[in-house]
Amino acid sequence: MSINLLHRHVLEDHISGFETDPNPNHLSVIRRPVIFSVLAHAGQETAVAEALWNAEDVAPRFCGPSEWLAVSRTVGAETVAGMLSAIAGASVVDQSDGRALMEISGPSVRKILGRCVAVDLHPEVFEQGHSAAMLCCHATANVARTGADTFEIIVPRSFAGSVFEELMEMGREHGLTRGFAD
Amino acid sequence: MTSYRLGSGGAINRGQSLTFTFDGRSYKGFDGDTLASALLANDQMLMARSFKYHRPRGVVTAGSAEPNALMTIGSGARAEPNARATTVELYNGLAAASQNRWPSLKHDFGAVNDLFSPFLGAGFYYKTFMWPGVLWEKLYEPLIRRAAGLGKATMQADPDRYEKSWAHCDLLVIGAGPTGLMAALAAGRAGVRVILADEGFRFGGSLLSESAAVGGRPAAEFTADVVEELASLSNVTLMPRTTVFGWYDDMVFGAVERVQKHVASPSPDLPMERLWRIVAKRAILATGAEERPLVFGGNDKPGVMTAGAARTYLNRYGVAVGGKVAVFTNGGSGYRTAADLLAKGVDVTAIIDARPQSADPVPDGLRIIRNGSVIATKGRHRIEGLIAERSGFEEVIGCDALAMSGGWSPIVHLMCQRGAKPVWSDEKQAFLAPDVGGAFVAAGAAAGQTSLGECLTDGAAKAHAALEALGRLVGSLETPEVEGEYDPSFAPLWYVPGARDKAFVDFQNDVHVGDLGLAQREGFRHIEHTKRYTTAGMATDQGKLGNVNTAGIVAGMRGVSPAEIGTTTFRPFYTPVSFGALAGTARAEHAAPVRTSPLHGWARKNGATFVESGLWYRSAWFPREGEKTWRESVDREVLNVRTHAGLCDVSTLGKIEIFGPGAAEFLDRIYSNSFLKLPVGRARYGLMLREDGIVFDDGTVSRLSENQYVMTTTTAFAAEVLAHLEFSAQTFWPELDVRFVSSTDQWAQMSLAGPKARIIMSRVVQDDISDAAFPYLAAREVTLRSGLKARLFRISFSGELAYELAVPAGYGEAVADAIMNAGREEGICAYGVEALNVLRVEKGHVTHSELDGRTTADDVGFGRMMAMQKPDFIGKRLSMRFGLTAADRLQLVGLKPVEADKEIKAGAHLLKDGAKPSLANDQGFVSSACFSPTLGHFIALGMLKSGRERIGERVMVWDGLRGSEVLSEVCPPVFVDPENSKLHL
Amino acid sequence: MASLITCPHCGTRPKEEFSIRGAAAPKRPSPTAKDEAWHRYVYVRDNPKGRILEYWHHVAGCRRFLVVERDNLTHEVFGVTDAAELERAGADE
Ligand SMILES: [Zn+2]
Repeated sequence: MSINLLHRHVLEDHISGFETDPNPNHLSVIRRPVIFSVLAHAGQETAVAEALWNAEDVAPRFCGPSEWLAVSRTVGAETVAGMLSAIAGASVVDQSDGRALMEISGPSVRKILGRCVAVDLHPEVFEQGHSAAMLCCHATANVARTGADTFEIIVPRSFAGSVFEELMEMGREHGLTRGFAD
Repeated sequence: MTSYRLGSGGAINRGQSLTFTFDGRSYKGFDGDTLASALLANDQMLMARSFKYHRPRGVVTAGSAEPNALMTIGSGARAEPNARATTVELYNGLAAASQNRWPSLKHDFGAVNDLFSPFLGAGFYYKTFMWPGVLWEKLYEPLIRRAAGLGKATMQADPDRYEKSWAHCDLLVIGAGPTGLMAALAAGRAGVRVILADEGFRFGGSLLSESAAVGGRPAAEFTADVVEELASLSNVTLMPRTTVFGWYDDMVFGAVERVQKHVASPSPDLPMERLWRIVAKRAILATGAEERPLVFGGNDKPGVMTAGAARTYLNRYGVAVGGKVAVFTNGGSGYRTAADLLAKGVDVTAIIDARPQSADPVPDGLRIIRNGSVIATKGRHRIEGLIAERSGFEEVIGCDALAMSGGWSPIVHLMCQRGAKPVWSDEKQAFLAPDVGGAFVAAGAAAGQTSLGECLTDGAAKAHAALEALGRLVGSLETPEVEGEYDPSFAPLWYVPGARDKAFVDFQNDVHVGDLGLAQREGFRHIEHTKRYTTAGMATDQGKLGNVNTAGIVAGMRGVSPAEIGTTTFRPFYTPVSFGALAGTARAEHAAPVRTSPLHGWARKNGATFVESGLWYRSAWFPREGEKTWRESVDREVLNVRTHAGLCDVSTLGKIEIFGPGAAEFLDRIYSNSFLKLPVGRARYGLMLREDGIVFDDGTVSRLSENQYVMTTTTAFAAEVLAHLEFSAQTFWPELDVRFVSSTDQWAQMSLAGPKARIIMSRVVQDDISDAAFPYLAAREVTLRSGLKARLFRISFSGELAYELAVPAGYGEAVADAIMNAGREEGICAYGVEALNVLRVEKGHVTHSELDGRTTADDVGFGRMMAMQKPDFIGKRLSMRFGLTAADRLQLVGLKPVEADKEIKAGAHLLKDGAKPSLANDQGFVSSACFSPTLGHFIALGMLKSGRERIGERVMVWDGLRGSEVLSEVCPPVFVDPENSKLHL
Repeated sequence: MASLITCPHCGTRPKEEFSIRGAAAPKRPSPTAKDEAWHRYVYVRDNPKGRILEYWHHVAGCRRFLVVERDNLTHEVFGVTDAAELERAGADE
């Protein structure tokens, strides 16, 4: 019995109907990002971090002193898995289905996120490329600055609907639009 | 005409006329008016009735300290009671209504209270309504509430949105008066991140009421220039209509922004109010000072107000508060107001100066009564005159407004909200801000500075100090010159002797000097006791106007300095904050985050009824057409699993991936049973204890490879177990090389159970899953027929042949659909957590109903899972205590009713047959109960004293709460397939 | 409204991100320690007023247990250290 399985995004039900043209403030949902948890074993923290930061095609996101997320929007899970498992002293877990990845951008992005997170996102404090785990709309999220006015938000799948709705609510004043990136 | 709008002047836009109503009558005002200034411009001085005596009242202030002019704004769901007319920004169509009066503001029946006032003094309620107590709720309280009170809250749901936001800055400046503007300008020019917040809708504070010139220009022009420059700086955030109401730990300030309170038709995309949490490295308190009323007989008559308020209405709003204004003062403020009134052509009848002499310049032709006092006022709905007294001689002076000044009190509330008390200054005759460390300092009038020039200088100086501390000081700001300033000093005068009428200290609570005296005589001498006995300083204004006078008067009565009396405790909020703002978006569907399973869509498609379980929504049962009750659905699902097969969503179980050479040892110390020898490819049931020896949680651990495990936890304890592992790894055994991370969200996990489970699963999975190849407790990665990698576990909660299949969450729905299709011919059904619960009760499996924080492993029959030969595991040491090993502990048993049609309910107590229900006779309780469709009667699990020895005994299941008694037989807890033959098919 | 803790790994965060586990001073006794030691460890807390050591779990951040030294009256924070680092440093002594 051959079965062709359909992959379904958790926000499929939340983003339906006609897609409108994105406004300057826009929330973009990445459909199939590759996201791995990377855990460094005792004494290997620095080496693993270094390897992660030097890796091609993946962006490292800081979670804790020996834990990161490795994120890729360009290469597949198997490629990333292969690359990560070559890092000595690291254990990796595929979380691509366990996380939803959204990108919020626009001139009002800091005002909108000020209603969602308690962390100071001023560019001098939270620089481009910086990432951290934090509460975002009452859920644990990893937030990264990926551009001057662009932030990436990664949340657990089960919270994604809730966080998404809350982000949209907080963006109402600034005409936040949303849609899948692809 | 008494009060009226001047022909010109003021910071109002005369080109934009606004229509509004007060008690149903239509009025006109201008853009830039407050409700109070617009009412005064329309000669409406009577604005309210007082709280207790229902005395006619007008405005006393022009700002947020207003105790009298409380009104209900708006109607229907948007009606907001107790708004201060002095801070309500006028808009077109605003509808205001007076409060606490019947039938009308002018003819208020409750005013008879004033005649009975000798019986309504301080402590009146305590003394009068003492007994009988039962009458309190039914009679006294409703009576008091109707007679004395504030506005009524609407009973309708709030139609508006609210938001919360964080903000961060280097310097927070609270108050945008002269001091705050200079502070923000100095810091703004230096390039640091500045937030300037002011409760008003226009920046400038006292500068907007100022007649002096600043920097060679009118004060209003100077203000506009500074605000314009601040607005142009990208590092400066201006927050008008924002009250900083609280100072909290770690330099976090709470503020509320009234985003749309001043808008006729609010936008649905904007919040009505926004609550801010502002994190500041430094903060400057530039809240200014409050003018103190003078406490004299009849000082509450409409038309009596502070001199500063009269000046604000005049200069800022272009409103003369009267046609003939008298002034009663103990300092320069009265002279300044008189001069400004005269300059605008308003008649000033006299200045009554309490001081014997002063150096204040006297305008030409103005009569000064030095060493004078006011002992009574005339008129009812408005002051018509006053009786002045000097050296024993009395004189009636006609007036239709009286401007009074009793000196100034710095507004220091925020700095006193974290325990520090304000400090009395003999020199300033005021309570000053305490020293709370360098990060938060007072400046300008809030710091006791009295002149405008001093305030401007101090604002800049305090900003410079903050910049220096931040390491960002560059250059310094020059302070502009002030021309035409008055000497604002004053002589202390706490109350005026010889009063012929009540001399009010707290207008809002109708507390007069006599009440304070009574409190002292009756022993309520501590200022906190005086407050509670007299109610001085309570309610919506929290004594902003009266508290300092209260302290001064009590000090005078006791012959001590106000320093010895002190003030009552300052607490947030500075002014009232709506519940809407505090709740923010957390209401209705946004009250808490919702977690949905990856199989949520599958369950919905199959008609699930969902139940909230923590934050999760879980499928409870799947009703089919014709099924009228949940029991019908659940019974069908249970029988279907026992005879055919069922598919259940178990994705909500916690899943933790564990890695490292220290993982086996770590698990061995975490669980009470042994884990060192768990083979790769196998799952094991594990029991976790708390350090006190009580069971914490249960679950399974599967060894996927030499150094890789996956643990499951119960849904309810997923977060706690992860935290427990982290705590143990990080604080007990940091030397163990073990790492773990939650993968709960990564997997859609489903349990396929029933005698047909294997045949159905083998249609979906490529691998050989025969009993030989994949026996009970096998656990390993498999490949689905689509090529998808998945995890398969042969574990069972139902007692049937069962598999748990975990697939990446995004494929969950598709895989569940595929299994349902593959099992259609075998009679598969979807089943929910209710059926799962019945299946496990039938099988005697425990959950947190049994593992309720009181049970040991042995209590629930898991004594063999205590691997006491291990040197250590969490909970081992205290599990050996006498109390936890006693023979008469409650033990897990099964229960079945002797009469088969009787129902046992969870929570019922167990008694020996014939024993009376009492604590002494209590033998245990029912932990779980359900109808067993397999057996055809109710069954239960219970915890019974020495239960395992009592199999076959009859006990009474006594449910006192729901009034039932069911004679039941104690039996082993496993009702179905005790030999586990179905498990090993 | 808020209290802030500066996590050595994540930076300054509000207390909502943390779960407080209580006193950090008591140390888990060895499995062979006397009953009294275990009793004290599991059940007895001094509950002093003033300067205390507490475990704060950074649940919504790095998920590390932090030892926060603070005054429980004024909430003045004197130091925040990763518990494992403190433990290792203690073991080295
Ligand atoms: Zn942290």
